[in-house]
Formats: sequence, C-alpha cells, structure tokens
Amino acid sequence: MIGRFGLACMAVTGIVGAIAAPAAFAEGDTVTIGIPIGLSGANSVVAPSVVQAAQLAAAEINTKGGILGHKVVLEIADDNSGADGAVKAYNSLIFQKRVNAIITMETSAARNAGLPVVARGKTPFIYTSYYEGRSCSPYLFVDAWVPDQQVATVVDYFMKEKGARTFFLAGSDYAFGRGMLGFTRKYIEAHGGKVVDEEYLPMDASDWTPVLSKLKAANPDALISSTAGGAPNVTLAKQLRASGINVLFGNLAVDEGTAKSIGADATGVYISQSYLTSIDNPQNAAFKAGLEKMFGPEMKTPNDLSVPEYDGIYLYKAAVEKAGSFNEEAVLKALPAVSFDGPRGVIRMDKQHHSPLTMYLGQVQADGSVKVIQVFQDVDPGNQCPKLK
Amino acid sequence: MTSLFLDIVTTAAILYVVATGLLIVFGVLKIINFAHGSFLTIGGYAALVVTQLGLSPWAGPPLALLAGFVLGAVVEMLIVRPLYNRPLDAILATWGLSIVVVQLITIGFGRGTNFVVSPVKGAVVVLGTEYSLYRLLMIVVALVLGGVLVTIMQGTRLGLVARAVIMNEALAQSLGINSARVRFITFSIGSGLAALAGALITPLLSVDPLMGVPWLLNAFMLVLVSGTSLLSLLLACVVLGGAQVVVSTYGNPVFGALTIVVLAAILLRIRPAGFARV
Repeated sequence: MIGRFGLACMAVTGIVGAIAAPAAFAEGDTVTIGIPIGLSGANSVVAPSVVQAAQLAAAEINTKGGILGHKVVLEIADDNSGADGAVKAYNSLIFQKRVNAIITMETSAARNAGLPVVARGKTPFIYTSYYEGRSCSPYLFVDAWVPDQQVATVVDYFMKEKGARTFFLAGSDYAFGRGMLGFTRKYIEAHGGKVVDEEYLPMDASDWTPVLSKLKAANPDALISSTAGGAPNVTLAKQLRASGINVLFGNLAVDEGTAKSIGADATGVYISQSYLTSIDNPQNAAFKAGLEKMFGPEMKTPNDLSVPEYDGIYLYKAAVEKAGSFNEEAVLKALPAVSFDGPRGVIRMDKQHHSPLTMYLGQVQADGSVKVIQVFQDVDPGNQCPKLK
Repeated sequence: MTSLFLDIVTTAAILYVVATGLLIVFGVLKIINFAHGSFLTIGGYAALVVTQLGLSPWAGPPLALLAGFVLGAVVEMLIVRPLYNRPLDAILATWGLSIVVVQLITIGFGRGTNFVVSPVKGAVVVLGTEYSLYRLLMIVVALVLGGVLVTIMQGTRLGLVARAVIMNEALAQSLGINSARVRFITFSIGSGLAALAGALITPLLSVDPLMGVPWLLNAFMLVLVSGTSLLSLLLACVVLGGAQVVVSTYGNPVFGALTIVVLAAILLRIRPAGFARV
C-alpha cells in the first residue's frame, strides 16, 4: 500500500516534470532510462531524493536538446527494495518498456537479482549506490564508493591523527553491515591495529544495551559502526550518548541528512562520504539551485545516494555522444572512457568499471552541520573486478 | 558485573512497562490484541507531537496515555466488541487494525525516523559504574505502574468486578455485573497503557511507523507465560528479560533477540501454566 501511494506521488511528479520540459523533439525520438528503485520497503526513505536527482538531470538535458536529439524519458519502477520486486521491475523495464539503459540506486539484494536480467537484455547498467564492492559484470558500471575507498579514510584518520590502536566494530546483521565491517577488520589488522570485538544486532532490533555493555568492558580507542539506515543508526547514537560512553566514533553508514536529524546526540561522530551538501564548487551550487527551482518545498535534501544518480545519467549521455549511437555494445565500450564534471567533481568509471572518488571525512557539529575535517583526493577503488578492464 | 545487573533490571522494567497493557486486555477479554504494537506506536507519536510543539518532554507520557485511552475506547466499540465470542476473528481484526494504523501514521507523519527529546539526559554513577539515567528511571516507572495497577485490581470496586469477570464471566453476569462495560473500560485502559509504554520507551529509541512490531512479539510471549497475574508478569520479565541480557552479553545479540521467544515456548511445553500461580 505504501508502494502504491508512493508510486502515485512519483507518477504525479513525473507528469509535472514532463510538462515543464520543452517539446522541441520529433515524435518518437526518445531515449528511455529505466530506474528500478525501492519506492517501498527499506529504501523508501531515500528513494524520492534519487528520483528527484534523475528528474533534474533529464529536464536539464532535455532543455539543451536531449541526447543526440532524442528526448530523455524516465521509466520508474518500484523494486520493493528487494530481490523479488527487482526481478519483476527489471523484466518489465528491459523487455516490455525496452529501456536504453538502467541507471539506479538500489539495495544489494535488488542489484544482484537484476543483474542476470540485465545480462539477458545486454542493457548498459550504471549502479549509483555505494555498496559492499566486488560486483562484476560486463554490463555493470558503478559511480559510487566501495569499502576500499570509504573505510580507509576513517581508519587512517583515527590511527594517524588520533592515535587509535584498538577498535570495536558494531553493525546490523545483514549483507552490507557484515560486508563493511568484515572489510574494516581486515583493513585495521593489515595496518597494525587491533579489533577487540565485532558485534551485530538484528536489523529490526533497537536495543543496543548488550553491545554497549561489551563496548564499555572492552574500552577501545575507537568505535566504528555500520548499521542499516534509519532507526538502528539513531538508536545507537542516542543510547551511546545516554550510557555515558565517550569514545571516538566513526559511522560508515550514516548520511548527512540522518546525522542532522539525530541532532545533538550525533555531535562529534565522524562520517565519510563522496558527497556532502557543503561541497563548494559551481557544479554543486548549480545542482542545488536546479533542485530548488524544480521541486520548491517538495525538494529532498541531496545526498551521497542521489548525486551519483544525477552523475550517472550525465555519464550515460557522454557515453552515447562518444559512441555516436544508442547501440548498447558501442555505449558499453564508451562508458569507461567518458567523464562528467558534476557536484562531486570529475567522475570517471575507468577503474575496472568502478570510479576513483574524492572522499570527504566530516565531523557532525553540535548544530547538526557536517564540518569537513579532511579531503582525500581521488581515492582509488582498488581491485574490484580484475577480470574487467 | 554491576552493569550486567543493571542491564537485567532495567531491561526487565522496560519489558514490564510494555507488556502490562497487553496482559490486562488478555486477562479480562481473553482475546489476543495484535493492535497492541500499534497503540505503542501511537504513544511514540504522541510523544513526538509533544516534542514538535515544543512542550516539556514530561508531557509526552500523560498525553500518550490519554490518546491511547480514547482511541482504545473507539476501537473497542467499533471493532472489538462484536468479536468477543470469535477470538480467532478478533486476532485477524486487530492485526488488520494494526496495518491500518501503520499506514495512517505513514501518511500523516511519513516513513522517516523521528526523535523525541528525552526528559533526562546522560548518565549517573550508580553502584560504582556509570549508567544511563533514563534506563534507571524506567525501574521507578515500572514499580509505580505495577503498584498502581495492583492497587486498582485489589483495592477498588473496578478491580473487584474485573477479577470476577476474569474468574467466571457467566457467574459474574448472573450476579448483575455489566461485563460489557468492564470489557470496554479494560480495553481502553490496556490501550492507554500500551501508548504510555510507547511514549516512555521513545527517549531511548526512535519513532517510526513500525516501532511497535519488535515489541509486540516479546510482550505477547511474556503475557502467555504469565497468565493473568501482574506479579507473574514481573517474574517473567525478570527471568526471561534477564536471560536475554545474559545471552546477548556473553553470547551474541542476534541470539539474544530470540531468547524470550524460545524460552517462553520451552517453558510452556514443560509447564503449561508458565509463571502463573507460582
């Protein structure tokens, strides 16, 4: 029911977007981008911001003549944030709607379920969500971060600048949580640190008491967490604060918006993202102004999941223009060679289908804003897919 | 060791606060109220409204109690009353109601996670260790709540009548007790207590449309092993809640989350009466 309600809202916004764009295109000259996304389920909180970023990119491209003279049309389908919904959404987008490309932010479960469908349709697929890494397919390109890029920034800072040696890891019990912390443990141990404990709470659980008691007993130099979005992030921050434990705290899975809404209890928490709203460059200013103008009071705060979607659509445009056609094979060949200068700076998916990214280590301030502590230029994604170029 | 002890006592207190409303409804009405979790959620949102209006956070719990009581009264009249003789249908109806409540809250407040201001902040040193002041406060709340309810049940006319209905409804009716009215009041109080619990736990947690779900199952199992006695419920909360803390602390929290459900099932297999009449 949530899905249908959300979908109705999306449909309305979609229509408004379409009317706003000029109709200078020849009948039938369209290029369709499929966006299977979690309008319902776990991703439903962030999905609207991603859809807005896509709508802005499409509207901007259309006012400037589209892609090779073709009007960009978005086909949005709810994947229910999971595998079952994703299979349906991908099948309908690729084989019924005949989309030219899939460009989307999704859960890892949904992405994995969609990949075989993408392979059957030989459709170019740009994945715009940060994820646990090492998902490889000739059709898949990623313009968001992987653990190799993010974890390193937090751990390096804690070890070098704060002298942290012992770490306590806490997360939610699911693929992303375990994947992130598993990588973090390896990284810490490879760099001479020690992981004193690694604890998980079920995804829907909200009482961190036992984990906090263990944390207190272990008395580590730093705590690093990777929980499911939304509630677990919040409850951990609040209960940590209420328990009187004062420890260096890096949160791998909190976005700027959530950190802001946690408020004072998040003060001092370190986060690491490839996009922060405060990034000071003309592209980001124009992007934010564009969203504001297009959506007004309905505008969702842009974030590290919505901005890569915007970049992804422009990267696809660049690849089509370089290839000179919408032919899937030609576009796939061009994708690693093109770049786009967006709100996060220049993005290029040239490292085994992944992107070197500038990462921003920030610290949440008492007023909820995120202060940039350190900028890590062009962090390499590492060997994600050695078999791909 | 001290902090383990405090974890056990405060966890038991929180469970007790959450489960009492369900126990009262189950005891008197003999129906399983699957909407208990959604009344808990309503209480959480009542506290959220208090925060949004900028009122004192202390106003949250009383307002939640009132909101739960009033909504419980409406629900009893419209949905629960016709189903007293059809307990299975009552389960379906209250389950359906919980879905409706979640959707209405989602439409009204959005799916997002919200926060309420805590009336007390930080930690205090107790028994030589620093501990969350709010969790300690929950011990006092649970004792006061239990005390008030026991006093009502043992010392007032309403309690006497309610106990009569619990023991033998047909006999109570033949003695001129208006059992429909007893049920109405009981359901309203039970719903009010659920909402009160929701408002009381939110300063520790967050407010979202599904916040009641994880609590419903544990509360339900605790009530099943406690029968109709408030004292048995207290014992069940200390034993099963304590087991949960111990398993979570020495084992891992993923198994810890299953402890109450698994132990309750085993207990009911060995001793069908559970903690009742010990």
